[in-house]
Amino acid sequence: MTDTKANHRLDAQDVRRDLATYWAVHDRVNDAVRDSVRAELRGDPALRPIVDAAPGDGQASERLRALAARAVEDGDWDPYLRELRSQGATYARMGLAFADWFRVTTAYRRHVVPHLIEAYGHDREQLAAAMRGKGTFFDLALQAIGDSYLAVREDTIGKQSAALAELSTPVLQIRPGLLLMPIVGVVDTGRSRHLTEALLHAIRDRRARVVVMDITGVPEVDSEVANRIVQAAEAARLMGVVPILTGISAGVAQTLVALGVDLKGLRTIGDLQSGIREGDRVLGVRVVWDRHGPMEETADADGVDAFTGMVER
Amino acid sequence: MPVPILHQGRLLIASVPPTATDRDLRELQDDLAEQVGRIGARGVIIDVSVLDILDSFATRVLETVGQVSHLRGATTVIVGIQPDVALAMVQLGVTLDAVATALDLEGGLALLHEQRSAASR
Repeated sequence: MTDTKANHRLDAQDVRRDLATYWAVHDRVNDAVRDSVRAELRGDPALRPIVDAAPGDGQASERLRALAARAVEDGDWDPYLRELRSQGATYARMGLAFADWFRVTTAYRRHVVPHLIEAYGHDREQLAAAMRGKGTFFDLALQAIGDSYLAVREDTIGKQSAALAELSTPVLQIRPGLLLMPIVGVVDTGRSRHLTEALLHAIRDRRARVVVMDITGVPEVDSEVANRIVQAAEAARLMGVVPILTGISAGVAQTLVALGVDLKGLRTIGDLQSGIREGDRVLGVRVVWDRHGPMEETADADGVDAFTGMVER
Repeated sequence: MPVPILHQGRLLIASVPPTATDRDLRELQDDLAEQVGRIGARGVIIDVSVLDILDSFATRVLETVGQVSHLRGATTVIVGIQPDVALAMVQLGVTLDAVATALDLEGGLALLHEQRSAASR
């Protein structure tokens, strides 16, 4: 808000005098101006909410008007600017287009001129002051509302990006110990980070032994992307998991070879089905182990655990 | 403060506390080397699940333990590397190539059995 005040030189005496000159008329004729603006924009229902919100009508408008009066008369700008931003944010969230705001304020600027001429036409100095004041008044409003729109948009984009990242990196459990991570779309730095974290946490939470990373849905693989996938696989290996990469198309395979990407022994399989079969095979040793109970598969003949020396049932 | 080593049959288990210093790790390496021989251990499990970081020094110690134990007839498994630790390690290019890893103690034991049965075929 300090920026706004500085940008428009709201603390300067001449600016304040211009504003006061303008405001004296604006406040008096606001209802009339609003009516003539409404008449002009009658054809467009989308603009009604904005026109109605203008100072002089309704609670929000009255609040704004009162704050504007305080700002112009007492030089107390912060509350008014805050209210402008707050209302701007509301309209942004309601889905009103900023362009519509612009149209309405432009209409206002035009419709208030005859009133200014009527009030100050006899005095060129005063008329000039009022016109300057009008400019400042509306520029201020547009800037505050514009800032709010930008802030709301950025917030929405942030939330949508987060949601998209969540959606786009599911880690699915096919059976106990076997996770499937289908990677779809472009894998940039941010996403690969999210992807890897999601994978590693899922490994820990689901106690996975094999993870199948399927890249059928990744359109392009360059050395950057390949390295990130290899990194994720390496990290999974540190947690004791066997990573398997599937869904490598002919094109991607040729790219990887041409780039000389080091897959560091990452098991690669053409299609998803074979990859899951391979995962089952890796788990196969464990599955037998699980079904018959711990250590029976590899216990010594006399039923004693080879490592802990404990007798097993 | 020396890292405590538990002993069950032919299995040695050490759980590294977050307070372990480089010296503690070197001592652990020596202790394990000695105990593997003394009890004729077939398996060594080192649990790092409460560690927030595994720097290059620590990983070198772990790899050395693996190699030394192997020479004396035991298989080593490092268990419990946390997601954040694994991520940091690969980003820094710190590797644990020479020794096996598993998610937790149970996974570590299972791996020891797998390797033993694979070796005996």
